[in-house]
Amino acid sequence: MVATAPRAAVRKRRRPSRESDTPTVGRSRVGTIAANTLGVLFAIVMFFPVYWVINTAFKPAPEILQFEPTFFPHTFTLDNFASAFNAPFFKQDLLNGVIVTCGAVVGALVVGFLAALAIARFRFYGRKAIILVVLSVQMVPFIAILIPLFLMLQKASLTNSLVGITLVYIVLILPYTVWTLRGFISAIPRELDEAALIDGASRFQIFWRVILPLTGPGLVATSVYGFIQAWNEFIIINTLNDQAHQNLMAWLLQNQTSRGTFWGPLMAGSILTALPVVIFFLIIQRNIATGLTAGAVKG
Amino acid sequence: MSVVDSPSAPPAQQPSASAPADGRARRRRRSATSGGFAPLALTLPAMLLLAGLLGYPLVRMVVLSFQSLGLRQLFGNLAPDNVGFANYVKIFTNETFYQVVGRTVAFTVVSVLLTLLLGLGVALLMRRVAPSVKIAMIVAMMFVWAMPQLVATQTFRWLVDSDFGVLNYLIDLLPGVDFANHSWFADPIQGWSVITSIVVWAGIPFIAITLNAGLTQVPKELLEAAVVDGASAWQTLRSITLPILKPLLIIVTTLSVIWNFGLFTQVWGVRNGRPEEEYQVLATWAYSTAFNNNNYGLGSAIAVVTVVLLLGVMAFYMRQMFRIGDVD
Repeated sequence: MVATAPRAAVRKRRRPSRESDTPTVGRSRVGTIAANTLGVLFAIVMFFPVYWVINTAFKPAPEILQFEPTFFPHTFTLDNFASAFNAPFFKQDLLNGVIVTCGAVVGALVVGFLAALAIARFRFYGRKAIILVVLSVQMVPFIAILIPLFLMLQKASLTNSLVGITLVYIVLILPYTVWTLRGFISAIPRELDEAALIDGASRFQIFWRVILPLTGPGLVATSVYGFIQAWNEFIIINTLNDQAHQNLMAWLLQNQTSRGTFWGPLMAGSILTALPVVIFFLIIQRNIATGLTAGAVKG
Repeated sequence: MSVVDSPSAPPAQQPSASAPADGRARRRRRSATSGGFAPLALTLPAMLLLAGLLGYPLVRMVVLSFQSLGLRQLFGNLAPDNVGFANYVKIFTNETFYQVVGRTVAFTVVSVLLTLLLGLGVALLMRRVAPSVKIAMIVAMMFVWAMPQLVATQTFRWLVDSDFGVLNYLIDLLPGVDFANHSWFADPIQGWSVITSIVVWAGIPFIAITLNAGLTQVPKELLEAAVVDGASAWQTLRSITLPILKPLLIIVTTLSVIWNFGLFTQVWGVRNGRPEEEYQVLATWAYSTAFNNNNYGLGSAIAVVTVVLLLGVMAFYMRQMFRIGDVD
């Protein structure tokens, strides 16, 4: 990264004359070079922390613990990943995280799709109120709910259980799910419903055979965002559950307090924890644009 | 993040949705009267879940804020004592409260302004650089955007580590500066600049990429006309670009205010779950009061005050979103 940057900047310098998509005419050559340099600098500064995590995770401990850092691992090692993976509760919390997150995504998707259908395709008394609820609930800081939630779930013996936290996570991602799916459903032309209706389809068939398949890309995008939200959550699960019933994000927090100085395993653990989210995010970022446009045209 | 696509997507559907509205409204009304229970049945599961796990706790929070509930009541299985406004009196007569509110507001203002200015700058810069540089910028921002908050916080904790952090090493390279073993959290101002950096660094991609998308809506002809008329770059920005970006700017600003006002993760991670007094903001204060000091009533009261303080901003945001939601 550091090594290739200057070369990239030089290569850019030869190009300005070919740039036809700049919005205004009469841009100076110096200005373009300055802009490109600034852009490269910005990319380096932004990416540096990400790079530093990766760099640290592959170094052996003695190389990490020196004042003059090495900008790439001189001795390449996977030990940090091994010790993170074998650390207490890592595997347990990884499994918990997968179960809880997937459960919450599926739950929110089913419940949210039905509600989104109602909001997008029906005019009914209380529709505005429901939109208002869905929107306002999204804004409530979850920390505020946490105190009564903790007391409630404790009384219902749902703390230290994966069921309780899954329910909480469904509610956490439900408002967003309803709101986004509503957008996807109302993007489907109503004429399709009507055509199916004329062909003798029942209302249920319209939902099942017309709307659901066309919402496909929307369902994927929504579930991935829901996955990211639930996977990244750690405050609620850290408060409600003990370490045997937590997820990886909470594990990362516990790990920090008990063994804060072991930077290698911590960074390796961070990579393992962030990996699914980063991958999903990068995938969805490309798909969401095509999903929004292609989904409508293909239909 | 969660609303990026919602505000930008609906305007495109606007014309098709509103044009045949007349004939359709009648049909819709008919279908609503015939299948009257269908929509309510469809929304019922969602509403039950939201009411049970969000609505009820919200009410409980308000009730709790008028009660005293600690470990004694919790483990003794006793009913919480009603204490009236005692919790609120305790908050409003407490010097700490005003400091915490001041700190939260100051952090919100500074971090939102920085994120917006830098984000806008980057969005404008992305239009001037070569395509390959633009891709490099986008890739870097995507990674930052995708990074979970807690992981980002851990990363920065490592970057500014007093003994082996790379930041101290790099600053130490400057001639005449000794930054070896410099602790960034001993002085709250330095500590807060680290926290602000984490938040701003993580916040730039959303703002920059959203605004860059918005910038494509600025008509090229207008900008060219302005150049021909002899407008300076600053004048063009102020009188053409910014007014067109205004609706988008309002939404991203409101969202940033809501997010940053509820700052929790970064402080929590950086201070190992036990923030000192100089590092407390409203959210962490409410949490530590309730769960670290086992004073659930007082914690709830702080949470209520936090929500009330945010209510104005939320109402503003919802009015914007509601307008969009009403379109179809």
